[in-house]
Amino acid sequence: MELFMMTLITGILVGGIYALVALGWVLIYKCSGVLNLAMGELTLIGAYVTLTFYQMGLPFILAVLCTLLVGIILGFLTERVFLDKLIGEPILAVIMVTVGISFFLKGLVEFLWGTDTRVFTPPVFAIKPIEIGFLKVSPVYLWSFILAIILLIIFVAFFKYTRWGLSMQATADDETAALSLGVSARFVYAAAWAIAFMSAGVGGALLGNINGINISVGHLGLLVLPAVVLGGLNSVPGAIVGGIIIGVLQNFAGSYLDQYFPGGVKEIVPFVFMAAFLLFKPYGLWGWERIERV
Amino acid sequence: MSSVWLPCGDYHQDYTQDQGWWQTKVIKGKMLLLLAIIFVGIPLLAPEYWVGVATMVGYTAMGALGVQLLIGYAGLITLGHSAFIAVGAYTSTLLVLQFPWPGIISDWGLAYPVSIVVGAIVAGLWSVLFGLPSAKVKGFYLILTTMAAQFITVDFLLTQYVSQIGGRGQAFSLPPGTIKIGPWVIDSEVKIYYLMAVLLTLMVMVLANLLRSKVGRAWVAIRDNDIAAEALGINIVWYKLLAFFVAGFMGGIAGAFWVSNTAALSPEHFPWFWALWLVGVILIGGVGSIHGAIFGSIFMVVIMEILQLAVIPLSEYYPKLLVDFAYIKDMAFGLAICAFLIYEPNGLAYRWWQVKNYFNLWPFSY
Repeated sequence: MELFMMTLITGILVGGIYALVALGWVLIYKCSGVLNLAMGELTLIGAYVTLTFYQMGLPFILAVLCTLLVGIILGFLTERVFLDKLIGEPILAVIMVTVGISFFLKGLVEFLWGTDTRVFTPPVFAIKPIEIGFLKVSPVYLWSFILAIILLIIFVAFFKYTRWGLSMQATADDETAALSLGVSARFVYAAAWAIAFMSAGVGGALLGNINGINISVGHLGLLVLPAVVLGGLNSVPGAIVGGIIIGVLQNFAGSYLDQYFPGGVKEIVPFVFMAAFLLFKPYGLWGWERIERV
Repeated sequence: MSSVWLPCGDYHQDYTQDQGWWQTKVIKGKMLLLLAIIFVGIPLLAPEYWVGVATMVGYTAMGALGVQLLIGYAGLITLGHSAFIAVGAYTSTLLVLQFPWPGIISDWGLAYPVSIVVGAIVAGLWSVLFGLPSAKVKGFYLILTTMAAQFITVDFLLTQYVSQIGGRGQAFSLPPGTIKIGPWVIDSEVKIYYLMAVLLTLMVMVLANLLRSKVGRAWVAIRDNDIAAEALGINIVWYKLLAFFVAGFMGGIAGAFWVSNTAALSPEHFPWFWALWLVGVILIGGVGSIHGAIFGSIFMVVIMEILQLAVIPLSEYYPKLLVDFAYIKDMAFGLAICAFLIYEPNGLAYRWWQVKNYFNLWPFSY
């Protein structure tokens, strides 16, 4: 029973980070219709940028804030350089451009920082597990979850209560109507990418705290795809719930199924689950069903 | 319908002439020259390094043909093709090494060719397994299922289970002399190149003829508007699965060939990166034509070679460049894909077609 509860809690905590990254993905899809396969590499860049700021001596929170700034700049740049010219092109072209971006970013990260695993030294969070009732939770997970939730709340508040956020919602709902009301679609796309870079960046920094920073953080960032499939491609609450469920699923698979499969099954269980889920409910739990008209 | 520009006043007088592959003397001459270059010129005259480069072009083209079939002709976007290449490679290798061949087959050196065919069939069937979702999902969701196919096949099944067969572990090399076709042992660059040329020519012939037939027309109909195709009586599930099978079959042949190229095998030869590379090759060469697959392969391999040659003089000033060359390759690949998709969305085959038409129609530009 204790193993069950601990796995569940750890899964929820890690899932919070996945939810943050998934939020960025859903935002890009909702606002501009771009299916972004570069999410893994966005996570990677964010992780390394935070590491660089941290090693320059800034405290961790300040490093995260600087990563947010860098994320905004990178998001605007990416959207302006790569994606502006692809508005209206067929879907495969747009997806492959995001794949191209992902390769470029991956090569850039490997070139600038090398492929060794780095860790945050001195360690950001205490090593000793915190005891809550009968559970022991490692502070890394707990603080990552809290930070992820804070950022999620900030982003959702941004959508609901600021003018920019409302214009993003309007564009996501019906782009032509929003354009006719004077909303700048290019700004909305750029803002969507900026938020995606920010959320993925912070997600990467937090994941890097847990596992150490190297190229495999990019693979963890790819787990956002099962999360958004589960929650529905269009739905922001779906992305959050999907992220948490994928975190839980991954941890349960790790704890209970690892003994049957040599070499670990943790990385691919979300993808197997996604493949199976796509057969039954491809639009996810909250996604909008796409009605195809001929 | 003859898609060949005939000189004024020349007519075909019966159906077989009209449907021929090489309809005029000029085309016959051109194609025979091309075949001479491929089968005689390159292996005998080019330095050995470039024969190796040509083999790499051929291997990329073999993989790209399967992806071109799925994406360019059947409209099924696939990002998991390297899984099927891996299945073909592992099946063929394990058959060659583990299967108790009856004496007559191994004496006559038929073990490897038979294993190529069996490996291709297994890869085709495996591809159909992961193509089953295409009966229900389309577009982005199909991309996700094929991606899942890649991760499940290579990262999980091959690495954990298949590598246990025969106790060799996941990365192993084949003893020299195991790969033979008939009396010839495939061990030198030139022989590998000949194997590649034969296989690629056969694949292109089969694919081109398939695409001209009822099956190919059904695929194009599905690509353009699959609901309308179904309304016209085409069984889209059957044809989609057939597309997956043929693409997997070709991937299997490519994988079985890869074994002879490297005489070693490891799941790391078939990463997700390679599936994305193949899709990139298609997009750069031009979606929707066999020329596109081949031009794309030539372009990508040649660009990588040129990049390598360009880095060497620069690395005197920046020695880091040579060490990190793989990462520069990644960056160059990403930028190349983005640049082509933004500025040349129709790919190289479109430019080829434009130039060809210019010369065919000269002096009329219309």
